[in-house]
Amino acid sequence: MAIIDSALKPFEELAHNFARKELAPNRETNDRYPFGPLFEDVLDKALGVGFFSLMLPEELGGVEQADKTRVLSSILDTLSQVDASLAGVLLTHAMALEILVQAGCKELIEKTAAETVVTNKAVIACPSFSNPSETGHLPRAQKEADGYVLTGPVEYVVLGGFSSRAVVPAIIAAQEQYSFFCIDLADSRLTKSGPVLSLGLRACPAVDLELRAVPGALVGEEGSGEDYFRRSSACLHVAAAAMASGIMKGSFDEALSYTRERSQGGRELIGWSEVKSMLANMAVNVQVAHMTTAAAAEAVDNNEPDCSLSAQAAAVHVQKLACDSTTDGIQLLGGYGYMKDYGQEKRFRDAKQVQCLLGRAPLKRLRYLESLINR
Amino acid sequence: MFTGERLQTTTGTERYMISNSDIKKLLGRDPAFDDIMCSLQSVPRMPRGIVKETRRVMAYVRKFNDEYVREQSLDVDRACQEQDDLLPWDLVEEANRRGLYSMWIPRLFGGRGYNLGSLSYALEELASVCTGIANVVGVHYLGVTVLFSTWNMRVINRVLRETVEGEKTGKPCILSLAITEPSAGTDVEDVELVDRGTVTCFARRVKGGYVLNGRKVFISMGHVSTWHIIIAYTDLKKPSENMMVCAVKTGTKGFSFGRKEHKMGQLACPASELLFEDCFVPDELVCYDNLQTRGCRSSKKKINRTLINLILSASRAGVAAFGAGVARGAFEEALRFASGTTLDNRLLLNHEWVQCMLAEMYKNAALARLGYAESNYANGLYGMVKLLQKKPLYYMTKYTPARLMDKFCAPVMNMNVTTRLFRKIYFDWIRDEDLQRATGWASLAKFSATDLGVTNCHMALELMGQAGLRHDGRAEKHLRDAKLLQIYEGTNQLNRLTLFDCLIGRSTPGRSVFEE
Repeated sequence: MAIIDSALKPFEELAHNFARKELAPNRETNDRYPFGPLFEDVLDKALGVGFFSLMLPEELGGVEQADKTRVLSSILDTLSQVDASLAGVLLTHAMALEILVQAGCKELIEKTAAETVVTNKAVIACPSFSNPSETGHLPRAQKEADGYVLTGPVEYVVLGGFSSRAVVPAIIAAQEQYSFFCIDLADSRLTKSGPVLSLGLRACPAVDLELRAVPGALVGEEGSGEDYFRRSSACLHVAAAAMASGIMKGSFDEALSYTRERSQGGRELIGWSEVKSMLANMAVNVQVAHMTTAAAAEAVDNNEPDCSLSAQAAAVHVQKLACDSTTDGIQLLGGYGYMKDYGQEKRFRDAKQVQCLLGRAPLKRLRYLESLINR
Repeated sequence: MFTGERLQTTTGTERYMISNSDIKKLLGRDPAFDDIMCSLQSVPRMPRGIVKETRRVMAYVRKFNDEYVREQSLDVDRACQEQDDLLPWDLVEEANRRGLYSMWIPRLFGGRGYNLGSLSYALEELASVCTGIANVVGVHYLGVTVLFSTWNMRVINRVLRETVEGEKTGKPCILSLAITEPSAGTDVEDVELVDRGTVTCFARRVKGGYVLNGRKVFISMGHVSTWHIIIAYTDLKKPSENMMVCAVKTGTKGFSFGRKEHKMGQLACPASELLFEDCFVPDELVCYDNLQTRGCRSSKKKINRTLINLILSASRAGVAAFGAGVARGAFEEALRFASGTTLDNRLLLNHEWVQCMLAEMYKNAALARLGYAESNYANGLYGMVKLLQKKPLYYMTKYTPARLMDKFCAPVMNMNVTTRLFRKIYFDWIRDEDLQRATGWASLAKFSATDLGVTNCHMALELMGQAGLRHDGRAEKHLRDAKLLQIYEGTNQLNRLTLFDCLIGRSTPGRSVFEE
């Protein structure tokens, strides 16, 4: 039985307290990566409180299957209000894990579940900012006597510089559809780039990989990658929408607080009607994002007939709203909003970064229409 | 064609004839012909040499982009992210070597004398590759513009000739402008707001000059400039009537730099804090104050408004050019990506939705360009450069040999009567409606072009996906850079209100601005 909304409270509180204690004090410092250290201590603590176990099957310590989208969304939303980078890490791990779940890779999942101490072994990397079927150059997989070897580049593998394993797409020779493989990121036949300097979510970093006959464990069945991606993506689209929703809330709260404190033209900034109008737009967007995400999460958890459509639409719409709102979030603070001191500029960058999760925004719109037509 | 025939008909259709007074009345109605036809009126009056000059300028800057800016821009941006306190000395020295700091200084003051309108096109070119580096060049001319707007020919002559000398010696001598204060960003941009705001930069009159105290923030290129054009106030209770402008040189006692701000973008151009603690400014470096304008007929407040609006009319057109540049830069990155990427086994460029997206981005860049061009035309007709674009003065300053210019013209520039004459022309004789047109168009261009710039950056990132998020993909840098354009030189919200104030609903009874 699905949990009722009030049952999400403990998860929200956990995320809220975690964000306040572990993320807020060092937001600017953590965002300096790759020019400062990665917040590995925060990742260790996130492992400690069980954030990385959420998406595991229930019997291995995850949340109930019928609740997982709402729980994941609630946590990512709450964290993202303060700093979305950790949410990006959790979403990437969730994506990798969900692909394994959809493919029925019990052994790999159990191996992940068993790792409760060493964070980089518990967290799985994957290229979470792309839809593999939209990627022009996937690595090639060659079947050999004892398995597969992968050759070619994989760009923008999120957490690829941190984790010990990654789930990556590749095309098996003579096949048209791609498959997923699990690879060991410590393999000597694999070259990693330095951390890619990105627009946002800088503490959720990516690297490029160059594979030269790197052994890969097939995830599920050959040529089924697109199917696993599609089945995983309903939950993940909602989670990505929740990140955008959280970022918007954070931006709105900061803008509201600033406009109440700052004076312009002899009165509180919030006293000017254009300022009020911008804040009102932001507030409406925040509310719409919250409702849309919540409804989509519920639809996915309840496995409603069109839940995948709801999830896709929520992602596309809420991510766009977040880009619009966070630009106003900076604007309302004027020059201060553009500086690193208030966090608004980071939210603006993070919102744009989040819009690219699971693929390019225009293609997500086109995929939505395809799904609608083909349902 | 039909209308034309009727106009020429003399029998039976007299009632359709139109008299000169009708034309004046009809075209004086909003939108007035003079408000909306700046380019049509300006182009025939412009010296033809301006076109040739502008072509030369654009080519010169494109070459600079090819040889230097494109290669440096990402490295500088990355280095500034890595080291918060890095200052772009190399960029300043390179721009200085290439003559970019004297290129738009009139030959009367030893510069190369390219027309100021062409600066906008140069800024667009630069910003299409890197808005930060465009600022490394452009901000200097913001200082130059403010200096000019005071029409204090002695100070102008002294400071600008140092810039020219700095190019000859290889030691850059560039200008910054300091208006913004910690508690007053928008307020100092409008005379109607400044009395209600909280300004703190106080200029106390003492024998032989002023003593400055206060703090200026977000001052572009502050740390690397030699001269700083400061706007301060001689009475903090009534700043709208007590504004003063002075030039302070780096190293002056009582003047120091505070922190370098940690910005999201435009990192090649540092934003500095300027601190004044009992900083003495002698009278010979006071560009403008109430004492100097005692001979003017207009009220102090009106003169201050005129001065601020003349500055903003020019500077906002420049920011609009940055907006057009970044719109173009984002478009060019998206085009490059779409030309080298396949989707569903077809070049991305050949998908119809991509073609429409690129067409939209091209349009945005083109409209942004049209906006600042129209603002330039308005400035040529009504604003600060209207005298310099008069054909006799233009050709005289362009073709008089430098030696003769220095011998005969420079002494005239140093005469008090020259300053008084220019101030008469610009502070007393300028018509309100002319100033409104120049100011209104600058605001329209500024908020439109910069909004279009940001829009194109968003579109480029959406098209490029994760490739656009990467620093080496350039598109994300354009987005970070572009956002600041919507904020400085007055937020785009303030610029909308300025447009309203200048050109909209002027005949509506009871209309007011900033009075809700």
